[in-house]
Amino acid sequence: MKSYTENSRKTITILLSLFAFLWFLPFIYVVINSVKTRKEYNLGEFWDFPKGVSILENYEYINDRIDFMMGFMNSLLYGAIATTLAILFASLAAYAISALNIKGKMFWFMLIYSGTIFPFQMYIIPIFRMYSNVDLYDSKIGLLAVYTALCIPFCLFVLRNYFYSIPKELVESAKMDGASDFKIYVSIFMKMAKAPIAACFLFQFTWVWNDLLFGLTLSKSAEARPIMSSLSLLSGASGTNDVPSALLAAILASIPTFFIFLVLNKSFNYGFPTTSK
Amino acid sequence: MEIVKSKPSSKLSTKSKIEKITPYLYLVPSVILVVIFCIYSDFFSLIVSFTEWDGLNEMKFIGFQNYITMFQDPNFLLSSLNTLIWVVGTLLIPVTIALIFAIAITHVKTQSFFKTVFYLPNALSQTIAGIILTTMLSTYGIPHLLEVMGFESLAKDWLTVPYVNTLIMVVSSGWQGIGLNLILFIVGLNQIPKEPIEAAIMEGAKGIRLYTRVVLPLLKPIMLIVLLMSLVNSFKSFDTIWVMTNGGPFRTSETLAVTMYKEAFVHNQLGYGSAIAMLLSVTVLIISWFLLRDTFKGEE
Repeated sequence: MKSYTENSRKTITILLSLFAFLWFLPFIYVVINSVKTRKEYNLGEFWDFPKGVSILENYEYINDRIDFMMGFMNSLLYGAIATTLAILFASLAAYAISALNIKGKMFWFMLIYSGTIFPFQMYIIPIFRMYSNVDLYDSKIGLLAVYTALCIPFCLFVLRNYFYSIPKELVESAKMDGASDFKIYVSIFMKMAKAPIAACFLFQFTWVWNDLLFGLTLSKSAEARPIMSSLSLLSGASGTNDVPSALLAAILASIPTFFIFLVLNKSFNYGFPTTSK
Repeated sequence: MEIVKSKPSSKLSTKSKIEKITPYLYLVPSVILVVIFCIYSDFFSLIVSFTEWDGLNEMKFIGFQNYITMFQDPNFLLSSLNTLIWVVGTLLIPVTIALIFAIAITHVKTQSFFKTVFYLPNALSQTIAGIILTTMLSTYGIPHLLEVMGFESLAKDWLTVPYVNTLIMVVSSGWQGIGLNLILFIVGLNQIPKEPIEAAIMEGAKGIRLYTRVVLPLLKPIMLIVLLMSLVNSFKSFDTIWVMTNGGPFRTSETLAVTMYKEAFVHNQLGYGSAIAMLLSVTVLIISWFLLRDTFKGEE
């Protein structure tokens, strides 16, 4: 009986390893080929080991072609600011809904949470029209506002759940000491919610960073264009036939989400709760 | 649940009125942003879907015409079919295969290694995964490898072959998207209490029967969440298609999300685009309803 389970465990390990190798192959392909020159890639075989490292040339090519650096910085800005603002606004609302004396708590919650229910395809035409009318089309502020608004519902959901778990006694005793509502929000709720706030930040930053739809719809010039829309210009019919440069762009544009991946991967081993948009 | 404030209710001075209103101020920024961007948009889309509008001239109210046109439009019908292929493909790869992998991983010693490898593509966005796999499938990539290996008939640019490219993209997006589901399944499998399983093993259940009879029923709550989440996302597939084929060739690989975008922003048919968005939303809402019903079970 024991040898039976040992054997089947070995078989499973081998099969899984095969699949794991298959899953990992594209990464090897990307790393090997992103440092080649275009000529080397086109004339040689893609499995050949690179003869030299032409990262700088490839980087210059993508920077010229799609304003890579500007897209990268734009997305960092959108990700950092929109996510922070969304967490701030959502935490205020979550605090009001979970701890303050207001009427229709469920109504307010559902009103804000309804933002995640519809697919984003519902929003692009109206927002595009609205932005064209008020001159926010193709502007940084415009994209920041959209990303902030769309991050709020998820953050509200996570933070409200967490806020409900904060012991009432803590709030009561702070009230006895004469703390104002706002003081309690800052010194008890926000202070205790560091972990869920971090989770919101990582998930929502990743979402903003990876967004393609709003970037495509609401920006046109490199000044406002986020990174994924810039990258999408490298692919498809209007794209490039410089494969190594495209692969280098893919690596560089994955750096922020890769770091987030490392953080999350560590927490996943402790059964980190996850939700996706 | 509510924190009762001890306040003298006898005198309704302006001060206590202000105190009553203040808590609502905490809601203001969130409510304003969500109302402007989401709720206004929902109603705007609904109205526009009943009009013919190019975005420049006056809106013309045409009733249900857009919804009727849809079902006579071969592009829309093909796009719906493709969307269904995406949905079925998603049920196969990021759901079923993820479940099989998850079960296999819980049986081996190096759990975290395999978890990391399969989750790794999740560190890339769909756009980036699309770009990487497009270059792999382009002339000097895998088709070239097949040619060298002697399968010359297979050496073509598969992303330009109608219908085949949709299948390739479903697999590609599965490569990128399997990780999260896999992790959720593993977390679920590890949380299952040991007693019922041990009891079943004592009674002689083993192998596949053990899973279909005992383990999977216990995993049902997580399976339901993963299934519904994946279904909702598969209906909205956009990024992968946009970068890999742009819906082509000849609009044969579009999904509803891509068709909607193209009608609205390439062909300037904002009314027709909104109608497609409405249809997509209603479909997604019906599925989400099951998800939400479970999420808020026990609340109010």
